[in-house]
Amino acid sequence: MNTAHGTKQAVLLATTLSVLLATTAWRPAEAAGRGGHHVQRGSGGAAHAPRGGAQLNNAHADARTRNVRNTSVNTVNRNVNVNRNVNVNAHGDYHGGWDNDYHPVATAAAVTAAVGVTSAIVGSIVNSVPPNCAPVNYGGMIYQRCGSTWYQPQGAQYVVVNAPY
Amino acid sequence: MKRHILAAAVFAGTIATVPLYAQETLPASAVAATTAVNPAAVAALRDMGAHLQALQRFTVSTELTGERVLEDGQKLQHTATAVLDVDRPNRVRVVMRSARGTREIFYDGKTVWLYTPAQKYYSSVPFDSNLAELVDHLRARFGVEIPLADLFVWGTPDAPADQFESAMYAGQDYVGTDVCNHYAFRENDVDWQIWIKADGNPLPRKLVITRRDDDARPQSTSIIDWVTSPTFRTSVFVFRPPVGAKRVELVPASAKKE
Repeated sequence: MNTAHGTKQAVLLATTLSVLLATTAWRPAEAAGRGGHHVQRGSGGAAHAPRGGAQLNNAHADARTRNVRNTSVNTVNRNVNVNRNVNVNAHGDYHGGWDNDYHPVATAAAVTAAVGVTSAIVGSIVNSVPPNCAPVNYGGMIYQRCGSTWYQPQGAQYVVVNAPY
Repeated sequence: MKRHILAAAVFAGTIATVPLYAQETLPASAVAATTAVNPAAVAALRDMGAHLQALQRFTVSTELTGERVLEDGQKLQHTATAVLDVDRPNRVRVVMRSARGTREIFYDGKTVWLYTPAQKYYSSVPFDSNLAELVDHLRARFGVEIPLADLFVWGTPDAPADQFESAMYAGQDYVGTDVCNHYAFRENDVDWQIWIKADGNPLPRKLVITRRDDDARPQSTSIIDWVTSPTFRTSVFVFRPPVGAKRVELVPASAKKE
């Protein structure tokens, strides 16, 4: 579960993320400014929208809030052998139930890999995604697949996530 | 039902301690003041399940409070709501809302649709079995969980009653204005509690599930509200793509990393 090694990785991750976020968060927004057929969702007005249709703004939430090791479960009648591995979050197999509709950026290993092979930093928030993206539904959640980079809608923006599968 | 009888038979005897797996370690000669598994608690669950399976048309809604455990063990709480229109044996419409947005599931007995209104993205897959099978299929094949999925499983053979390490009656309590009987169970990696309406039909009004496989013990609480004489039309179970809606691929959960 939460080994000393894992804790060290988490600290490293949080530090890495906070540094990288500061420098990368705005880059795709600039890309959006160049026009093109980028996919963009409505932004702003969330505070005034009626309940139910409101888009929440989580762009300023602390990056540590996305470093999730486990979630509560919502059902008791399930095949207990399926969801027992507490670390499967990292592989996108287990979203923690219907309420937990986000893809964690958790493991340091995955983040390191992402840093190495993609231009977008896992955990960073962007205002729009590039024009070459294809939406897919995985585990009931919408993702934008853009080459080797994956995004998940978060409020009116997108968060870069590890490949869900 | 065979499982229920077996469970009752096993636990009719008394046991001295609370073994991890009572069935394996039950000493034949043991005598104790209490049994780990109270047959009355198991029976209450069975009666509730039978009643749930007998409900034909209903609307049920829930407000759920869940927890995320961060890497260092600190917990964050979140909430979500869901409304389900149900017409047994094979129709359901689900609307789920959380911080991320709104998602919908439609099932008319022939096709399952998943819809995300904010992006107008929808996916569909053919399916033709009952709701208990639907719950299992969506979870196993696509990693999609239907809210309050237990409601479709209690009262069926997929809800085993023979694996409790502990089952007890915890007295009466209110949920809203309803007087409820409160039961608590331990099995596998979870402790869970249920509040079942004491007067009239035995409907579940509250469900709390606590994981024991993480020392932070993440817990969910679902308050459940019922409309047993619903007013929905049959058309609510069919998805009709609105203008501008786009079909997206629904990727099976078994898909491996490329």
